[in-house]
Amino acid sequence: MKKIKKQSIPELLEKWQKEFAVFVPSKASGVSQMEVWDGQDTAFLNRNRNTAVPPKEKFLPGMEKMFGFRKEEGSYVVEPTDGEPPKQLLFGIHPCDARAIGIIDMVFKDAYDDKYYLSRRENTVLVGMACTSPYDSCFCTSLGFGPADAMDVDIMLIDIGDAFLIEEVTEKGRGILAGAKGVIEATEKDEKEAAAARESANAKVSRKIDTAEISRRLPLVFNDREFWEEVSAKCVSCGICTFLCPTCYCFDINDEMLQDGSGARYRNWDCCSFAIYTRMPAENPREEKWRRVRQKVYHKYLFYPELFNVIACTGCGRCIRQCPVNWDITQTLSNLPAGSPGKAEEKKKAS
Amino acid sequence: MTREIEKKLRDAVRELLEKGTIDRIVGYEAGSLKFSTTPLITSNKADVDRLVINPFTHSNLSVFLRDLCGKVGIVAKGCDARSIISLIQDRQIARKDVFVIGAPCGGVIDLAKVEKLTGLDRDEVDDIVWQGEKAAITFAGSTQKFSAKEVLADSCLGCDPSDFKECDMLIGEIEPIVGGKELGQDRIREMEAMAPAQRWEFWKKEFSRCIRCYGCRQVCPACFCDRCFVEETEPRWISPLPKWQDNLIFQVVRMMHVAGRCTNCGECERICPANIPLGSLTKKMEEIVDELFQYRAGTDKDAPPLMAAYQPDELEDLMR
Repeated sequence: MKKIKKQSIPELLEKWQKEFAVFVPSKASGVSQMEVWDGQDTAFLNRNRNTAVPPKEKFLPGMEKMFGFRKEEGSYVVEPTDGEPPKQLLFGIHPCDARAIGIIDMVFKDAYDDKYYLSRRENTVLVGMACTSPYDSCFCTSLGFGPADAMDVDIMLIDIGDAFLIEEVTEKGRGILAGAKGVIEATEKDEKEAAAARESANAKVSRKIDTAEISRRLPLVFNDREFWEEVSAKCVSCGICTFLCPTCYCFDINDEMLQDGSGARYRNWDCCSFAIYTRMPAENPREEKWRRVRQKVYHKYLFYPELFNVIACTGCGRCIRQCPVNWDITQTLSNLPAGSPGKAEEKKKAS
Repeated sequence: MTREIEKKLRDAVRELLEKGTIDRIVGYEAGSLKFSTTPLITSNKADVDRLVINPFTHSNLSVFLRDLCGKVGIVAKGCDARSIISLIQDRQIARKDVFVIGAPCGGVIDLAKVEKLTGLDRDEVDDIVWQGEKAAITFAGSTQKFSAKEVLADSCLGCDPSDFKECDMLIGEIEPIVGGKELGQDRIREMEAMAPAQRWEFWKKEFSRCIRCYGCRQVCPACFCDRCFVEETEPRWISPLPKWQDNLIFQVVRMMHVAGRCTNCGECERICPANIPLGSLTKKMEEIVDELFQYRAGTDKDAPPLMAAYQPDELEDLMR
């Protein structure tokens, strides 16, 4: 294992800036999100809580130009967007957000390769940072990992006081550390401190869900309209929980046109809580609110696992703490009716 | 003190449900996070003991009224009670279908202000309690006292208690914690002092962060259109893409639509995940409505709704 003193990090970031656009957690814009490092700010080295806007925004921007077009001789000519997306390095992202990127990677290279997402993804290096102060809304430890686990990142840093212990996870990660100043061998004491930090971080995550029980109950309660009406009553159908969810990836497609027929096609975040969702291509099959709330829960906890064998939630807690009415998915999941075994049998037979 | 008020509320609601005076109640229960409440919408008497009244009853519950059938009892703060009256004026709900339980709140605590004062996030603060006219906040191992002005939501500063009308029942005494109309005006006075170009830059920066989650619209009782103009596609009034120009236009048009209906409850600003200071717009709009029309939203259920009624002889100094 290696380590690096915190005071050496700015120099390392400067080195990386020669090759990458370096993003760090920042509140400079007025909301906490990943921002281009200004060469000065080091606050995130000592205090780094989850950003309000998740880093998925660096792969699936809230608005992204897909291509331009213009009218020519009675037809349209497509003008592809220029070249590759810039190389970027995200510094200090937490395990829940890194895991979320690993999870949505699956859908963007499933039925077809989504070149917009994947080219950004391929041009990105993820430098993870163990989360040492989870929010009271966090529940990552129920989703199969802890706030200090090195997953889906290239290198992982764990705070051990005046330094970070470094875990090199991928070749890419080893590559960016090659020749870096200030990176030295860690001692046994450092490793012990890192282990203690990991344990203490795990213990701070107090919110729990039982995913095995949830997986058992969900197939049984799909048609329990009364339950879903009750839990959805206070939802106001805004897009906050999905837009700020690190694993929600729905997008809408919109053209912007000038009068001469030229324009550009964009995609932008969309949300299954909106009453207008999918009304452009056809109809929204989920006109009533309770169906939309149910969809959100099922997509994350049943449909995604059926498709990709992983729950599409990393317990980052943003949907709970940012919700205008404190609609809490962990409460809904914990209060799922036990369902009737008979119904489960019927479903099994039907499939 | 609070407990006593809560007991009074729970007893009253239980009786209302038992007697069939109301079919369901919309109130607040404890939320799942520190210093939070969450809406409780129920027709079940057994749930009544979950009702709470405290300085964290932020939501304007009148936003749920249009979707609920039967006779609905609702726990309303002063601004919420005005929203209810405004909905009655606009024929969105019928007076006979709603039973208003006035719950004077003394102002709600603005947790964003608490975070600024303490330098901590809300879940890291240990306790917030009123001690007389001061809010005692315990954090980082000690307790500090702050004035009401420092911790109350801007929308509560200068709240006019005489606005509290159309209550079928009142739980507690109406008395404002912070009096004086000018107290809630600091931010708009600052903004008025800016040169137009500077103000333009300010809002450009603010609206650059908007993610178009439409949270502001969804929590707003005055935003009751069945289909928002943003969602119209023939013609398309504004782009659904979150460009700052379109974000700004969306909000400006929304403000115009809720003029004379907005009670400055502060919910749009509180819930904005991008921290856009929408309360500055609602507050200024409230002033303009007052200046032009001597009208205060939601204070007279029998008055014609300001923007939906027109008199031929009324002043034409609207466009400026």
